[in-house]
Amino acid sequence: MRSGWWPCCRPCPSPDMPLTLRQRLGPARFLRGEGPQAGPVALRQRRVFILPTRQGLLFAAILLLMLIGSINYDASLGYALTFLLAALSVVAMLHTYRNLLGLRVDIGPAEAVFCGETLRVPVTLENPAGQTRFAVSLHFPEQAKRVCDVPADGWARVELPLSAKRRGRHALPRITLATVFPLGLFRAWAYAEFDARVLIYPRPAPALPLPRDSAWQTDLSGDRGQGADDFAGLRNYHPGDAPGHVHWKTLARGQGLHTKQFGGDCAEELWLDWRACAGDTETRLSSLTHWVLAADAAHFRYGLRLPGQTLPLAHEPRQRDRCLEALALFEGDGSP
Amino acid sequence: MMERLRQALAWRWRQVERAQLWLLAGLALALLPHVGHLPWLLILPTTLLLGWRLGFELKLARLPSRPLRWLLVGLALAATWASYQTLLGREAGVALLVTMLCLKLMEMERPRDVAIVIGLSYFVVITVFLFDQSLLMGAYMLLVVTLLTTALTAFSRPGASVPQRANLRRAATLLAQAAPLALLLFVLFPRIPGPLWHLPSDAPSAGTGLSDTMSPGNISRLSDNDAVAFRVRFEAEAPPQNRLYWRGLALTHFDGRTWHNPNEARRDLSAPRSFDLTAIGEPVRYTLTLEPHQRRWLFALDIPANAPPRSTVSADAELIAHDSVNTLRQYSLQSYPDYRLDAGQAPREFAYLHLPPDVAPRARILARQLRAESRDDADYVQRVLGFIRQQPFYYTREPPLLLDDPVDEFLFDSRRGFCEHYASAFTVLMRAAGLPARVMTGYLGGEDNPLADYFIVRQSDAHAWSEVWLRTRGWVRIDPTTAIPPERVESLADLERIDPAYAARSREAPDWMKRLWRKMDFGWDRLNNAWNQWIIGYDQGAQTAFLKRLGMEGFDWQRMIGLLFAGLGLVVAIIALQLFRRRPLPRNAVGEAYARFCRKLARRGLARKPAEGAQDYSARIISRRPELAPQVRHITLLYQRLRYARSAPRDGLRHLQQAVRRFRP
Repeated sequence: MRSGWWPCCRPCPSPDMPLTLRQRLGPARFLRGEGPQAGPVALRQRRVFILPTRQGLLFAAILLLMLIGSINYDASLGYALTFLLAALSVVAMLHTYRNLLGLRVDIGPAEAVFCGETLRVPVTLENPAGQTRFAVSLHFPEQAKRVCDVPADGWARVELPLSAKRRGRHALPRITLATVFPLGLFRAWAYAEFDARVLIYPRPAPALPLPRDSAWQTDLSGDRGQGADDFAGLRNYHPGDAPGHVHWKTLARGQGLHTKQFGGDCAEELWLDWRACAGDTETRLSSLTHWVLAADAAHFRYGLRLPGQTLPLAHEPRQRDRCLEALALFEGDGSP
Repeated sequence: MMERLRQALAWRWRQVERAQLWLLAGLALALLPHVGHLPWLLILPTTLLLGWRLGFELKLARLPSRPLRWLLVGLALAATWASYQTLLGREAGVALLVTMLCLKLMEMERPRDVAIVIGLSYFVVITVFLFDQSLLMGAYMLLVVTLLTTALTAFSRPGASVPQRANLRRAATLLAQAAPLALLLFVLFPRIPGPLWHLPSDAPSAGTGLSDTMSPGNISRLSDNDAVAFRVRFEAEAPPQNRLYWRGLALTHFDGRTWHNPNEARRDLSAPRSFDLTAIGEPVRYTLTLEPHQRRWLFALDIPANAPPRSTVSADAELIAHDSVNTLRQYSLQSYPDYRLDAGQAPREFAYLHLPPDVAPRARILARQLRAESRDDADYVQRVLGFIRQQPFYYTREPPLLLDDPVDEFLFDSRRGFCEHYASAFTVLMRAAGLPARVMTGYLGGEDNPLADYFIVRQSDAHAWSEVWLRTRGWVRIDPTTAIPPERVESLADLERIDPAYAARSREAPDWMKRLWRKMDFGWDRLNNAWNQWIIGYDQGAQTAFLKRLGMEGFDWQRMIGLLFAGLGLVVAIIALQLFRRRPLPRNAVGEAYARFCRKLARRGLARKPAEGAQDYSARIISRRPELAPQVRHITLLYQRLRYARSAPRDGLRHLQQAVRRFRP
């Protein structure tokens, strides 16, 4: 299985390490959280913050008006109502805080995606307490929100979207967990930052300028016309597989997406070479990415030549991932 | 056709965002009490707007476009202006708030709009309290607040699949948890005697209480309003019923039909004119709780020795408040039932003798005649009362209308009337003979609540009598209605009305149902009285008194604030402790349940071997007793998941315990 994340090698501050007063009260913790952490993050008191929402401030302003009105008209029930609502907001504050406190957040492996696609990071929220956590929202910075309820003594799993903007291996951005439950007057939030990396492959070139290599050309076209003799089996569908090779029957049977593998005649060998591409570094990487996908779909034995790095010819499931990873992590200006 | 419509509506109903429904229901119920005093010009559009929003939620209607919304705002302002000729003040302000809030529904889309609408809906609740603070209204508004809070809850957790009963329950729970905190705030928050500023005073609405004019002969029917005017608690023994004259307004001017007091409008409160009051005997001390009647006068037992705060005694010994009584008002007073008022000092004002020139010619002749027969002024008063007693005067609540000259027609033709007729005619007869006299209005008597030691004075106890100035005794209270012999009072109820002592005697009704009804009535009134005393009447004075009773004497507001915050901190800490209490982990319960399972099997000769894993044990049992397989597998799986899985399934422990309990190997 391709894994999108790796454990971090840097030493991380222990979540249980006591903070100095300056650290505890400083604005950094408030704005940036506590830094990445390897294991599951437990949202303890010092991680959960709470402030009134805009609605809460509006509510407070109306309460003030109500108090003034009660004083002005000497309305005792007016006082009573004002105080009841003020007390209600205090109680709601406690409930909002409790709705987040004690949750344990963990992430699962995210499948690597191509640049421009959306990474789906599986996040598990575990609730060790006896009451349900309602309407907990999670999001990566500037990404779409997901809202879920976490049952008492249970867990919830959400796939948190993260749009892949740059190729390479990146640290997972911190996750913001927030809730305004039960009254929307206060927002409690916490940051969970994990020591995990996500791998993003280069964006495959949309239209492939075929290399002038005749073997590539003929074998690609020749392979397309083959009959059922060459059918070698099915394998799991990978993004980028040619639609013509998708085995629709298994999909129709509800067994998931599979790709037909063809073999036998795929004796052709193909070198995907950096020098065969044109354009700047990223354009070349895009082209190579597309070729890797195409060659893999066409069941060639193929290898990858990059400046300063060569992946030998092979045809096995791991070859595609190895090549894509190499392309994702390629650092250099292209000069040999 | 109907069936299809019903189905279509049912389908739409399921699609509706429930939070919106809670909000609309709460808002509609909050607005309902305002129907009583909003003009139809505003009630109709308000209802339409609410209906419009409901139609929108049901996807039957679209919200108006922006230009149409502005047009509606303009129309609402115009309608409010047309109804009140102002946009300020209590009534117009409330009307404006209500219409603008309903217009806001037409553009409620973002969370901020929702917050504004819910916040202002709470505000509508408080405006209702400016008009009515009764116990029933309080309970009703608690319901409304619960609905609005449910709306808030529902909005913070949107989605049509959320069970709405849970939202309602959560709102109720939150309110219940807020209650102790609110109570603390209510008791300890320093009360500032209002008003902070004077809003443009509202035109006195048609109050239920006593009027400031009196036109005997104009109304042909005395209203029978059982509403409570005020309640009185005497510190010591109450004076006898027939001496409970509750002094209200003095009506000094008579134009031939109507009695009124022209000084009312231009009374100079800053410089009250003095009068000479000589008290005889011991004062009566009492506390009076006056229901709001939207006028400025207060009531006191004849005759008050002092004026309560924020009020003044007028030249006619009336109590005039500085502001109209719009909320429940409580005050403590001393009164002297026996007194000499302005004795030996003739009233300076000519008004007390004035009669319009061509009014009551026959009465003037009678007065001259009776005065000529009398030895002195006091004798003349007795002769006039004797005239009423001897001539066929009747007490009736439905007297004939008097068209030309009410006084003469009453005295010589109809001779049927109630207290106003008698007080008016008697005062005219006094003035015709040169005795300064005025009409007093107020209340007579009061009902002793047997379940608690206070008296209830109702609107139906309203009464009018006369005051005559005699040289030796000053102003003397004369109630000409009492001169009518009982046999000439038309009904028993009226006899009770004009003779409180009689009423007290007749109260021991033999009918048990009536007695039960009376008892319930008194019980309900007692509840209302307690509500008034403890909730509505809880002002600065009551607060100080209450704190004093708790042993916190002489508190200034700084110390009160300190106490308040300390108390708040304590209560919040208690609530937080309840909310954040860590559950004892039921880790051992899992092991115990499994051990019990093992013991049950051991009794059947299938004891678990030491160091045998749960999985192996289960396999061994199943191989020996295949018929137990489903149960054993289920229990083993539950145990393993509870014991070793990182997170336990919901209710797993309960299921395990249940399964072990039912397990019969």
